[in-house]
Amino acid sequence: MSAPRANVLLDDRTVEFILYEMLDAEALCNLPDFGEHNRHTFDLFLTSARTLARRVLFPNYRTIDAAPPVLRDGRVYVHPLLKTAWPQLVDLGLISATRGPEVGGAQLPLLVASLASAYLMAGNLSAYGFIGLTSGAAHLLEAFGSTELKARFMAPLYAGEWTGTMALTEPHAGSSLGDIRTRATPTRAGHHLIRGEKVFISAAAHDLAPNVVQMVLARADGAPAGSHGVSLFAVPNRREEDGTLVDNDVAVSGLVHKIGWRGLPSCVLRFGERDDCHGWLVGEPNRGLGQMFQMMNEARIMVGLNGVATASVAYQEALGYARERTQGRLQSQRDPESPQVPLLAHADVRRMLLRQKAIVEGGLALLASTARLADLAAHATDAEERQRAKLLLDLLTPVAKSFPAEAGFESTVLALQVHGGYGYSSEYLPEAFLRDSKLNSLHEGTTGIQGLDLLGRKAVAGGGAALHALSDEVSRTLARARACELDPTWAEQLAEALAELVETTTALAARGAAGDVDSMLAHSHDYLTLFGLVAVGWQWLTMACVAQEALRRGGKDEAQAFYRGKLAAAQYWAVTELPRVAGLAALCRSAEGSFSRLEPDWL
Amino acid sequence: MKILVTAKRVEDPESKIKVKADGSGIVQEGLKYKMNPFDEIAVEEGLRLTAKHGGEVVVVSIGPKDVQEQLRHALAMGAARAVWVNHPGPLDPMGAAGLLQKVVEKEKPDLCILGKQSIDDDQGQTGQYLAEWLGWSQGTFASKLDSLESEAEKAKAPAIELSADGKTLQVVREVDSGLATLACSLPAVVTTDLRLNQPRYASLPGIMKAKNKPIEELTPAGLGVDVGLQVEVLRMSPPPPRKAGVKVGDVQELFQKLKNEAKVL
Ligand SMILES: Cc1cc2nc3c(=O)[nH]c(=O)nc-3n(C[C@H](O)[C@H](O)[C@H](O)COP(=O)(O)OP(=O)(O)OC[C@H]3O[C@@H](n4cnc5c(N)ncnc54)[C@H](O)[C@@H]3O)c2cc1C
Repeated sequence: MSAPRANVLLDDRTVEFILYEMLDAEALCNLPDFGEHNRHTFDLFLTSARTLARRVLFPNYRTIDAAPPVLRDGRVYVHPLLKTAWPQLVDLGLISATRGPEVGGAQLPLLVASLASAYLMAGNLSAYGFIGLTSGAAHLLEAFGSTELKARFMAPLYAGEWTGTMALTEPHAGSSLGDIRTRATPTRAGHHLIRGEKVFISAAAHDLAPNVVQMVLARADGAPAGSHGVSLFAVPNRREEDGTLVDNDVAVSGLVHKIGWRGLPSCVLRFGERDDCHGWLVGEPNRGLGQMFQMMNEARIMVGLNGVATASVAYQEALGYARERTQGRLQSQRDPESPQVPLLAHADVRRMLLRQKAIVEGGLALLASTARLADLAAHATDAEERQRAKLLLDLLTPVAKSFPAEAGFESTVLALQVHGGYGYSSEYLPEAFLRDSKLNSLHEGTTGIQGLDLLGRKAVAGGGAALHALSDEVSRTLARARACELDPTWAEQLAEALAELVETTTALAARGAAGDVDSMLAHSHDYLTLFGLVAVGWQWLTMACVAQEALRRGGKDEAQAFYRGKLAAAQYWAVTELPRVAGLAALCRSAEGSFSRLEPDWL
Repeated sequence: MKILVTAKRVEDPESKIKVKADGSGIVQEGLKYKMNPFDEIAVEEGLRLTAKHGGEVVVVSIGPKDVQEQLRHALAMGAARAVWVNHPGPLDPMGAAGLLQKVVEKEKPDLCILGKQSIDDDQGQTGQYLAEWLGWSQGTFASKLDSLESEAEKAKAPAIELSADGKTLQVVREVDSGLATLACSLPAVVTTDLRLNQPRYASLPGIMKAKNKPIEELTPAGLGVDVGLQVEVLRMSPPPPRKAGVKVGDVQELFQKLKNEAKVL
């Protein structure tokens, strides 16, 4: 093997392209809330994030993956290398980056924060995970907590002094959070006493910080059954008493032995074994799930980003390998004495690499577009624009979460495949990326749940208003594509796919309205897949327009190669993926019953 | 303690650098730029010293308006203010040292920290000229044996250390056979080697604060410096492509070749 090459994690030029050429991030700075920013602040922050990811996080990735956290005498110890990286991660300022100055944030657009985070995720998902969870918990407290709770819990979280968690899942209640059983008993002192068991709680205990604040879903005594009886509580591992931190009766009874994300502890927790676990109600009683779901868009965008980031680092690894490793000769070359060619010379290897590129960059563009919608939904000055952005954001979020989760996993499989047998060995990295990537289809709502959410709620809500808004957006891109003289068949493919999506949705909505919800939702997974193909097709056609317009302005060879790469991937999506939409649409409309009407004893 | 540090704008080594067909320079289009990595180390060292002894770090850059990007970077890392010498034309080490000398006379720092060289032209002379012309002591190639980031290293004395009376600076420098320790009387010029420290990343709060820090503009004319070139670049050419290697049949042949052709044995 030749000297080790550095994996860049994400292609900087593509990030720049998406931010500035495709999504005009600088235009966001015209909004008063983002008025303190300009391209220079964006670029400096991106530079800091990518440098930290490349210099500190990624070089330690394998070592941390090989030695997961340990539980000893009730305490959890993470890898020592994480302890070195942690203060540097905190110092970047990412935990409160997108929040306003009133909580010490920098009001960075989520669009920019997302792309900066993607480098850190690609460098080491587990290390980033602590940041993401802390940020999410603090944001929940900021949105719903009282002034006192904010001072007590939110402030140290945003400052990175403590870390946070989301403690929802219980052994018998994962997807079905309305069935949780953890109890909260009110006391005269104002706090509740928490009792119950949670599983899979990420970063619930560790030695990176002196305290952890868990955002716990629990049922207050006397609350109604189901999701309308679930409240949200802030439960610290250690609570403050007379100025010192004392044990708050949160016990770690075990760690989950995981196949991926092996730097981050996932804990089995027992609250209130000694009946001394204090929790503080956050927001309204019995509104816990709703409050949690208000934060869901951001959490799901983050999971989507995890998927793209891992797919990207895997793609870069495969690309480097395919350039270096030589094997065989082209079919046309008969001379056995001729030198072997790099893997990249083989058409089938290029197929795998282009497919990865199309998934990675298409997914990144989709997430960036979704993050930009979140920025507009919260910060646009015009109320109508905010509302429209919110509509599109809600619609696209399940897709922006699931496409990278599913296609991103496939992309890491391809990265392994490019490595041949070496990819199957743990001496090489792709197997680790594959393990990390799989989580994305499971947490923050499984893919199955996302499909139901998309078809059962988002796509049909308000008479399909969100889908109409999306159609308008896609139509604008179609017009742009026609104007810049791209191959017309690409726009035609997308137009047909969009028409299939709209027709299918209308037909299924009508079925649901007529009371036949089962047949409406029978193929919700296929619907989600179909939607992802169209959404990413839209992103690729937009990127193709930008690239084509740039090419027509002329430029040097290197710039040409960059833009031609974008056109190649756009073409690939138009000719191989968009034609699949018609088949999936037919399946959805047919409500074909091979599995939905399957009897359990036929299996 | 007032410390003046430099932040030169150089081509980012990660962008593909090509020599122009006529050899008159490099192709600028599509290039990315950054702060000279040795200067980043200088900024970091300045910040560490002022964190310990008080005072401020002032950062200087010479060049066209674009160098303000590198100044903002240094300000985002924590420098207090910046000086921009507006000079869009070509510059050689003597020209740079001449301009810096005037800036130093104006700013009157206790210490100047420069990169030992910049990664574009690799000249490695500016710090030495500056010290000589100011008549100051100099400690060049300040270094550490190991990366500062190792725990063991952090526990050791820093490479650049101020004496208790604040009058001398102890500088550990890299020499061919290892490390030498110098005592320099202040004011002094120090140049940084690669292993001196691991520069910090500009944090988001730092980036936002930097926006409001002042950048003072000076010009060569205003400083009374004629930056006429002492060194002229006649032509640039890319290094010749590496020739293909040869395969030797056995150890004997290798030995012969090393002895007769390479003449290394
Ligand atoms: C590494 C890791 C980290 C995690 N971190 C956290 C954390 O920090 N905090 C936290 O609270 N939780 C966390 N979780 C838990 C995670 O959110 C749950 O695993 C997830 O919600 C699924 O729940 P479950 O495992 O109980 O699966 P189940 O809900 O039992 O689902 C099993 C299968 O059934 C399907 N299914 C279930 N219900 C339906 C339905 N109504 N319709 C159609 N299909 C359905 C699912 O799609 C899935 O394929 C983590 C999990 C893992 C693996």
